[in-house]
Amino acid sequence: SEEEEEEEEDSEGGGRKAMDSGNCSEEESEGSEVDSPLLEELGSKVKHPKHKEKALEEEEEEEPCFETAGELRWKEGLAQKASEAFLRQQRSTPNLRKLVYGTVAEESEEEESGGGELGGLFHVSRPESEKRRRADGLDCSHYPPDATRDWDQQEVLDSIRDCFVTGKWEDDK
Amino acid sequence: MASSCVSYEGCNFFRQRLVLSTLSGKPVKIRKIRSKDDNPGLRDFEASFIRLMDKITNGTRIEINETGTTLYFQPGLLYGGPVEHDCNLQRSIGYYLEALLALAPFMKNPLKAVLRGVTNDQKDPSVDTLKATAIPLMKRFGIDGEGLELKVLRRGMPPGGGGEVVFSCPVRRFIKPVQLTDPGKVKRIRGMAFSVRVSPQIANRIVDSARSILNQFIPDIYIYTDHMKGANSGKSPGFGLSLIAETTNGTFLSAEMASNPPGQGTPILPEELGKNCAKLLLEEIYRGGCVDSINQSLALLYMTLGQQDVSKVLLGPLSPYTIEFLRHLRSFFQTMFKIETQKPEEDGKGGQKVLMTCVGVGYTNLSKTLK
Repeated sequence: SEEEEEEEEDSEGGGRKAMDSGNCSEEESEGSEVDSPLLEELGSKVKHPKHKEKALEEEEEEEPCFETAGELRWKEGLAQKASEAFLRQQRSTPNLRKLVYGTVAEESEEEESGGGELGGLFHVSRPESEKRRRADGLDCSHYPPDATRDWDQQEVLDSIRDCFVTGKWEDDK
Repeated sequence: MASSCVSYEGCNFFRQRLVLSTLSGKPVKIRKIRSKDDNPGLRDFEASFIRLMDKITNGTRIEINETGTTLYFQPGLLYGGPVEHDCNLQRSIGYYLEALLALAPFMKNPLKAVLRGVTNDQKDPSVDTLKATAIPLMKRFGIDGEGLELKVLRRGMPPGGGGEVVFSCPVRRFIKPVQLTDPGKVKRIRGMAFSVRVSPQIANRIVDSARSILNQFIPDIYIYTDHMKGANSGKSPGFGLSLIAETTNGTFLSAEMASNPPGQGTPILPEELGKNCAKLLLEEIYRGGCVDSINQSLALLYMTLGQQDVSKVLLGPLSPYTIEFLRHLRSFFQTMFKIETQKPEEDGKGGQKVLMTCVGVGYTNLSKTLK
C-alpha cells in the first residue's frame, strides 16, 4: 500500500505542477517567488499610466484630466482580479511533504560546491547566504505571526468567528 | 548501542538535536557553530544546556573543541531523579524546560527538576504558558498522574533572573497513540497577567486592555493577576501576559508577551502589551489545530515514540521550527509523516490546517524500573 501511496502523491504533485508552476517550489526560497508573477504583472501595468498621468499633471495642472479616463481602464475590476489571483494561489497549496522532506539531498550538494578554496591556500569568503544564516539562527520554538493579518479589521475578525462556541455550529452538533 | 553518528552544521535547532540524539542513542556531531561570527562557538546558554543534559543522563560523553565551534555528543542513559540546575540568564527556563518535557517520560527514575533563572522573557515560551499547554498535552499521551507537576515558586525577569521553577514528571513504559482530529470550539479564555517589582496596578491595566479585544468573541474570560513580592519577585522589574484559549475538546491554544528588560528597546505600555497579546491569541486561534504552535514538535515527538499504532493530529500551519524537527525525526528515527493539508470547509473557521499521520516506532522505556 505504501508504494501506492507514493504513486498517488507523485501524480498529485505532478498535477498541481501542471496547474500552477510557481508554487510547488523547492524551499524557503519560494517566499519572494510565489507572489512575484502577480506583482510584476500589476507593477508593469501600474507604472505606465502613472508616469503619463504625472507628466500630464505637471504640464497643465489646473485642467482636470478627463481624457485619461480611457487609459485608466486597467483599473477596472482590480480588486476582483487581485482576489482571483489570490484564490488561485490559495488553491495550489504547496506540496507540504515535498517542502518538509524533499530538500535534504540538495543541501548537501550545495555544501560540496560551496567550500571553494583557491589554490588550496586561500579560502573564498562569501557573504552569508540565507541557508547559512538559518543554520546559525536563533533556536526558538515560537512561530512569529503573519503580519499581513490586521486584527483591527472586521473581516479579519470574522474569519475566526466560528472558532468560538458563540459562533455558528454545524448541523450535526 | 553502536550506531552511526549524525552530523549537522550551525547552532540552530541545538536542543532538538541533542534531545533526539539522547532518545535514539545515536551520537551527534555539530560543526561550524557560529564559525563566521565575531564571537565564535557555543554560547553560555548552550553550555548550560549541555550541563543540564549531562545531569539528567548517566554516561554522556561530550567533546568540544577549543574554539567551541564543534561539538561531539554521545548520549548516555536517561537517569532522571532529583536535579537542580541554574539556567543561564541569556535564555529563559522555558528553553531548558522544553527539552525536559520531551525527555522526562523516558527516564529511569521520575524526574524532579528545580530550575533557577528567568521565568518569563520575550524569546522563549514562558513557564506559565508551558504549564497551561504542554502539561495537558502530555496527559493526552498517557503521561499523567500525581507526579506530573510544573510550579512557579519565584518569578524572575531578565536580565537579573532570580526565578525558580519545579518540574516533576512520572516515567512511562509506553506512550499512548492519539487521534486528535477535531479541535472543537473555544469555550473560554483564561490568562495570567503578572508584574514584578513594578506597581501591581500594571497587571490590572493589562487585563482591561486584553479583555476589550477578546470580549468581542466570547464573554467567558478570566485573567488572573499575579503580583509576586519580596524574594519571590526575582531581581529585575517587568510585567507580561499569557493567554490561553480552551476548546470544548480540550485543546489549549496560547499566546504571550513580556515587557522589554529595562534599558533595552523602547518601553511598552501595559495597555499596548495587553492588546498586542490578545491579537496574538486571535492569530493562534486563526491557525488553530489541536496543538498550539509552540508544542507542535512535542506532540510530533510523542507520536513518533508511541506504540506501533497509527497516531493522527490536526495542526495549524507548521512552524519553521516544526518543519526542521520533522526532518530531524526522519534522520534519527526514520519516521516520515503523512502530511495532508485541509482547507476549512467554510469561512469563519480560521486558516488552513495540516493533518499529520504517522505510525509510532514502538519505543519502550527499557530503563524504567519495574515495581
